[in-house]
Amino acid sequence: MNHTSTAERIIRGLLLTLVLLFFLFPIFWIFLMSFQTNEDILRIPPSLFFTPTLENYVALISGRLSTVAGDLDIAFMRNLWNSVLLSSLSVGVALILGVPAAYAFARFKFRLGENIAFTLLSFRFAPPLLVLLPLSLYFSELGLSDTYLGLVWVYQLIALPLILWIVRGYFEDISPDIENAYRIDGHSWAKTFRKIAIPLARPGIAAASLLAFIFCWNNFVFALVLASADKQPVTVGALAFVTASGIQYGQVAAAIVLSVTPTLLLALYAQRYLVEGLSLGAVKG
Amino acid sequence: MTSLELNAVSKSFKNDQVLSGLSLSATEGETVVVFGPSGTGKTVLLRLISGIYDPDDGDIRLDGSSVVGIAPEHRGIGMAFQNFALYPHMEAADNIASPLEARGGTAAQIMEKVREIATLLKIDHVLSHRPKELSNGQKQRTALARALVAGPKILLLDDPLRNVDAKLRFEMRLELPRLLRDFGSTTLYVTQDYKEAMALGDRIAVLLKGDFAQVATPQDIYNNPVNVEVAKLFGDPTINLIETRLTVADGRAQADLAGTTVELGTGYDHADGRDIVVGVRPEAISVSETPLEGALPVELIAVTPLNERVVMLLHLADGTEFFASSPEDGATGTRRHGPAFARIAPDAVLVFDRDSGQRIHPLDAGPQVSGQQTQ
Amino acid sequence: MSIEAVKPPSPGLDTAGQAPVITDAGNTSARTALHLDAVDKFYGDPANPAVHAVKSFSMEVAEGEIVALLGSSGCGKTSTLRMIAGFETVSRGEIKLAGRRIDELRPAKRNVAMAFEGYSLYPPLTVRDNIAFALKAAKLEQGEVDRKVDHIADLLEIETILGKYPSSLSGGQQQRASLARALIRKADLYLLDEPMSQLEPQLRSVLRGRIKSYLIEHGLTSVFVTHDQTEANALADRIAVMEDGVLQQIASPAELKDRPANLFVATFIGEPPMNVFPARLADDNGHLHVVVEGEGAAAGFTLDLGEVSRPAGSRLTGGAAVHLGVRPHSVSLGRGGNKGLLVSNQWLGDQTHVVIEAAGQTMVAVSYGRVDEQVGAEITFSLSPQAIHLFAQDDGRALLHGTEAVG
Repeated sequence: MNHTSTAERIIRGLLLTLVLLFFLFPIFWIFLMSFQTNEDILRIPPSLFFTPTLENYVALISGRLSTVAGDLDIAFMRNLWNSVLLSSLSVGVALILGVPAAYAFARFKFRLGENIAFTLLSFRFAPPLLVLLPLSLYFSELGLSDTYLGLVWVYQLIALPLILWIVRGYFEDISPDIENAYRIDGHSWAKTFRKIAIPLARPGIAAASLLAFIFCWNNFVFALVLASADKQPVTVGALAFVTASGIQYGQVAAAIVLSVTPTLLLALYAQRYLVEGLSLGAVKG
Repeated sequence: MTSLELNAVSKSFKNDQVLSGLSLSATEGETVVVFGPSGTGKTVLLRLISGIYDPDDGDIRLDGSSVVGIAPEHRGIGMAFQNFALYPHMEAADNIASPLEARGGTAAQIMEKVREIATLLKIDHVLSHRPKELSNGQKQRTALARALVAGPKILLLDDPLRNVDAKLRFEMRLELPRLLRDFGSTTLYVTQDYKEAMALGDRIAVLLKGDFAQVATPQDIYNNPVNVEVAKLFGDPTINLIETRLTVADGRAQADLAGTTVELGTGYDHADGRDIVVGVRPEAISVSETPLEGALPVELIAVTPLNERVVMLLHLADGTEFFASSPEDGATGTRRHGPAFARIAPDAVLVFDRDSGQRIHPLDAGPQVSGQQTQ
Repeated sequence: MSIEAVKPPSPGLDTAGQAPVITDAGNTSARTALHLDAVDKFYGDPANPAVHAVKSFSMEVAEGEIVALLGSSGCGKTSTLRMIAGFETVSRGEIKLAGRRIDELRPAKRNVAMAFEGYSLYPPLTVRDNIAFALKAAKLEQGEVDRKVDHIADLLEIETILGKYPSSLSGGQQQRASLARALIRKADLYLLDEPMSQLEPQLRSVLRGRIKSYLIEHGLTSVFVTHDQTEANALADRIAVMEDGVLQQIASPAELKDRPANLFVATFIGEPPMNVFPARLADDNGHLHVVVEGEGAAAGFTLDLGEVSRPAGSRLTGGAAVHLGVRPHSVSLGRGGNKGLLVSNQWLGDQTHVVIEAAGQTMVAVSYGRVDEQVGAEITFSLSPQAIHLFAQDDGRALLHGTEAVG
C-alpha cells in the first residue's frame, strides 16, 4: 500500500529524529567538550556557551599535560601511531592468512573442515582474560612481550575469525559455475582464484577488513597486559589522563576525537566502496 | 572419426548413484542431444566431460585419448552454462576473450576474433557492457560466443536456452544448427525440451535413471521409441497410452479399447494374450461426427487451441481420457462437444508390454525405421 | 460499393492517431460481472510517477467468461490482477464486481477467490484441510465437503497427496493445491496468477483441458495472468494482451490471430512468431501491390492484392511504407512462383519448421508432415493475399488483414 498520510509522515520523522539524537548526541557532546577547559566541562548546569580553546589538542600533540598538580609527559601521538601500525599490520596479516583459508572453507569440503572453522570462530567467544595469563607467560619466555610482532600475533585472535567468516560467506555466494567456466576457458586454478574469486568477493573483503580494523583499534586488554608504554595503542594510552589530580576530561575528549577520526574516515571511505561493490550486483551474473 | 567417447561412465554422490555405466560415442562435427527430464544426471554428465567432476568408474576419451584426471583447463573444451555463468566484473568483450587469452595471442588478434564472433551472434553493439547491463538474450549469446570463440573440438551446451523467453528460444533454435555446422565442433547439447532435442540433434540420447534408454535419430526416437518412458517424453500433447490386452485372430492382432476392437496389424503372434499398453500419438487420431470404418465411439470433452493446432480431449466409453490433435485449418473432424468418432491411423499404433514397458515389435516386419508420415 | 460493407469489427481503435489506449467494447450478450473503468496504477508521486505500471486500463468481463491477461514480464498484468484482488490500491479509476464498487474494499470483502503462483498454503494444515478451509468456514456439512474436495483433487491429480502437509510437496503440487483451494470456493470472481507455471509440460497439457471444462461447467467468471500464450489460448474465451502497462487488444484467440490490432500483438501472438518484412505499397489502377524490395543480389517479390476497397482516410495508398506480416503457417511450400534458399529444416514430429532466405530476408514456415528438401536447396513458396497482414511502419497499427482493410 502506498498511501501515507500526513500523520504517518510526521510520526516517522519524529522517530527518526529521536534515533539520530540518541546515537549522535554523545558524539556531538564529546566534540564540544574537546574545545572546553576542565572547568567549563564540570560546570553545573552544563552550558552550550563557552570560549572555545585549542588547549586540549595542543597538549596532546606537544605531549605535555598541564594539570593543577603540575605538568605530565604523555605519549598520546605515539600511542595513536601505535594504534594505526598495530591495526593495519594485524588486518594485513589476517587478510593474507584468512582470505585463502576462507576460500578453502567455502569451496572444499574436507574432513574436520567445519570443526576447524568453528574453533577459529570460538576465539571470539572466549573472554580475552582467560588466555591472557598463560599468554603473558609464554610471551615473556619467547621474548615476544612488548614487541609489535607479539601484539600483531595476538591481534589475530580478533581479526582472523572476522575475516575468515565474513569472507567465506561471500565466496560461498559466488556461483561455482563462474569459476568452473573460467577454468574450462583454459585458466589455471591459481589464476581463477586471483581473477575471479578475489575480485567478486572484494566487497566482502573490504567489509571484513574494516570491521577487523575497528575491532583491533578498539582493543584494550591485550595491549594493556602485553605491551609497555612505547608500544601501547590509544585505548591504553588514554589511561594516562586519569591523573592524581583528577580526570582531564577536556584532553580525554580531544583524545577521543583524534582517535575516532581515522576509523571514521576509513569507514566513510570504505562505505562508498562497499556500496559500489554491492551494487555491482554481480555475483548472480 | 570418433571425437568423443564415453565408456561405462559412472558417478555417484554420497549414496546417490547419478550415472550408472553409460556409454556413448560421437563422431566429429556431430550434434548429440542429451535429453531427459530434470534430475536424470544430464548436467553431471557434461561436468564429467569438462573435468569439473571426475568419474567414479569408466573412461572418457577425447580424440582417442583418455582425459580422466586431466584438469579442466587442459581439455580444450568449450562450454555454455544454463545460468550463463558470465564473469560479472568483466565487460562482455573480456568475457568472450577469456578462452583466447588462456591460449595466448596479441591483444589485437584476440580483439579481432571477439569482434568477429560478436558480429556473427549479433552482440557486437553490447561488447562494452557488463553482464548485468545485458538482456537475457544477450547474456545467452555472450555465453555462447565465449564457448565457441576458441573453436573447441568439443562443445558442451548445458540447456543454454532454458532461461530465455519463448521467442528468443525459437530464434536460437533455428539459428544454432548453422552456427554449430560453421564451427564444426562436436557438440553435446543438454535440454529437457523435446522440440529442441528433435530440431537440433543429429542424434538424441535419451537419459533416464542414470543411463541412456535410447540413442537414435530424432525420427527413430519419435516413431520407434524403445519403451513407454521414451515414448512419453516426446510430443505435445504427449502420446496416448491405453492399457488393454492383445489377442490374435487369424494372424491379425487386435486389442479391445472400451468395447471396440482395434486392429494392430500382423506379426504379433508371439504376443498373443499379453497385457499391453497401446500407444497412439494425438496427431494420428482423426475425429469426426460421422461414424467411420473402425472408428471408436468417443465423447468430445474439450477443444483447446495449441499453436495453430487444436487439441481435443476425448473420453472413451469407459471414461479413459485421451487426446487427438489436428491442424487448425484442417477439414477433419468436429468442434462440437458431445458424441463423436475417433479413427486411429492403423500404422501409427505402438504396442508396449504392460509390465516391463518395453516395446513389442511385430515379428515379420521388424522394427519399422521408415518415417511414418502422419497427418 | 459501400464502405460500411467491408468495415471489419473495430478493435476499439480510434483513427485520430492518439496513443493506442484500447477500450473494451464488452460482451453485451451476457451480464457484466467485472468492470474495470480506466484503471491506473502508479508508484511514487502521482503528478510525476516513478513507475506507471498500468495505464488507463478498461475491460468488461461477462458472467461465466474466462479472460487471460497476457504479456511479458513487467507489462502490468500482475499489477492489474492484484488491484482486482485488492492487494494493490487503485491509483485512479474504478473496479466494479457484480454491480458493486470494490476497489475501496478490503480483499476479504470482495468475494474473490485467488490462486497464487507462489506458495500460499497454510503450513500447519494438510492439503485436504487447506482445500476444504473455505467450505468449512461456510458451514458446509462434512460429507458434502469431502465429496467436493475429492472431486477437485481427482481433477487436478492431487488425490494421493491430500493427507500431506504443504512443506513436503513439490512446487507443482503446491500450485495445484492452491488452485484447488481457490476453485472450490464460491465467489463472484476467480483470479489465477500463472496457474500452471510450476507444472511439468506433460501434466500441463492434460490439466488445461480439465480446468477449462471445470470452469465452463460451473460457470465460473475468471481472470488469469500468464506469460504463456499457449496457456492463454487454451483456457481463455478472450485474451487481453498487455505491453508497457497499456492494453494493446482484448479479443478472442482467433480474433487476435486473424485481426491483430497492431504490430506488437501480431508478433507477440502466434508460435512461431509472425514473419515481418518492410515493404512499400504501389497502386496500379486500383490494384494494390505490396512490394518487398530485394537486398543486394537477392531479388524482391511483389504481391497483387487486387482491388481492395479502402475506407475513407485509409492509409493504404501507393507509396505508403508498411510492414508485411505473414504467419509461418500461411506460407505454402513447394508451389508458387517465389524462390528461396532453405537454410534450416527442423522436423518436430507433428510438424516441420523451416527457414527460407528470400529477398534478403529470412522467413519461417511451418508445414504439417515432413519437408523433403535438404538444407541448402532451393525451395519454392507462395504467399496467399488472403493470409497477409499490413501494418503502418510509423505507428505499427494494422491497416489490412487478408483482403479486408481496417477501417
